[in-house]
Amino acid sequence: MSTPSPTKTGMIDFRGVSKWFGTLNVLKDITLSVEPREVVVVCGPSGSGKSTLIRCINGLEAIKDGDLIVDGQRLGDPATNMTQLRTEIGFVFQSFNLYPHKTALENVTLAPIHVRKIARAEAEQAGRELLAKVGLADKVDAYPSQLSGGQQQRVAIARCLGMRPKIMLFDEPTSALDPEMISEVLDVMVAVAEEGMTMMVVTHEMGFARKVAQRVVFMDAGAIVESGTPEEFFSAPKTDRSRAFLSKILRH
Amino acid sequence: MIWQQLQSLAGSYPLAVRGLGMTVMLSLISLVLGTALGFGLGILRTGGNRLISSVIGAWVDLIRGTPFLVQIFLIFFILPEFGIELDAFTAGIIALTNLAACFICEIVAAGIRSVPTGQVEAALASGLSRWQRMRQVVLPQAMRIVLPPLVGQYVLLIKDSSVVSAIGLTDLTRVGWLVVQRVPNGLLVFFLVGVGYFIVCYPLIMLARRLERRMGAAHGEVQL
Repeated sequence: MSTPSPTKTGMIDFRGVSKWFGTLNVLKDITLSVEPREVVVVCGPSGSGKSTLIRCINGLEAIKDGDLIVDGQRLGDPATNMTQLRTEIGFVFQSFNLYPHKTALENVTLAPIHVRKIARAEAEQAGRELLAKVGLADKVDAYPSQLSGGQQQRVAIARCLGMRPKIMLFDEPTSALDPEMISEVLDVMVAVAEEGMTMMVVTHEMGFARKVAQRVVFMDAGAIVESGTPEEFFSAPKTDRSRAFLSKILRH
Repeated sequence: MIWQQLQSLAGSYPLAVRGLGMTVMLSLISLVLGTALGFGLGILRTGGNRLISSVIGAWVDLIRGTPFLVQIFLIFFILPEFGIELDAFTAGIIALTNLAACFICEIVAAGIRSVPTGQVEAALASGLSRWQRMRQVVLPQAMRIVLPPLVGQYVLLIKDSSVVSAIGLTDLTRVGWLVVQRVPNGLLVFFLVGVGYFIVCYPLIMLARRLERRMGAAHGEVQL
């Protein structure tokens, strides 16, 4: 892959990014640029660094070397207001991480009210619409413990959308779900992608990748091994490692 | 004989009320101050600044590892050496508040640590500030863990307040000492002193038990 010129900046721009956990080199010289409205699926064996990669984007993990520029702001730069930048980046977790003491609606409206300073009534109106959009109009007053995994993850997506982010990051959003609940979450993600959201999605859901991703990035041992359109990647993987990986996940 | 003693005791009634009032005042003031300080310390203890956290940790260990009576004497007799004149009431409040704050600090810190990291990450990811994360996400969940032992700590605090009689404050315990000089029946007098403390503490014990039961149920209900 060629290094993008410093003047051209994508929505998310990794330039030679490296990271260590102690002596373990979890990200090795990552260079990757995600354009606005682009949907990139990141896959690879467990421990390949794909979750770490997207967790760096909103600063849940700090990078060691290289530059990471998100929405025109360089992470780690003293001039970059990380809290401010995070409001532009939605993050969907594998384990949902809904606030258990708040209802679905309160989960969605918390950050808009306290961070965006939107009036409560307005935020609640928008929150109800978002919950309706993810198919949970009848669950606005339910607590997370009263919802199924698929429903919780849809609330989590609505919670991100409530901030009207420029970027959405998904960290294995369907891995913790029972099989019958995966499609209801993927459907919501497809709808978000089709509205033109810039997305990076760590997932092994190849159907989702084929449907909405412009690019699939395959990682192994902390490095980007291969990247291409879903069509190229699935029908003609170029490396032994990606072939071995695909044979494992497609067998199921 | 016993009849005379009871009559004499009845005469001490106003003193007993004063003593009970002193005990309740001391406990209440240091309970409120100690709770506020304890929460502050507990939040700082878990706040990520290692230096602050270990200084607080060391202080808490020091206070937990020395007898309360010694702490009271230190505050009451040592501080005047440095030119800080304290009346017994203020010294008692300071000592009790400090004691309560140290125990509450550890209770609050344990509660905060019990909140899964995923909760903090979710709050962080949605752009909530440090204080908003604490106020909106972490503390409400920590309270489930904090409340039952916190109320239990209040009971201990009320009982520990009896130690301030050693620096001359006329609390319930000291009233016992005063009365027993006139009514030479230690068993009876201190039985009544004990009843006085129990009357103040028992509602809190009941409250702690109720909270524990309620929180236990809520915990089962709210699964992460």
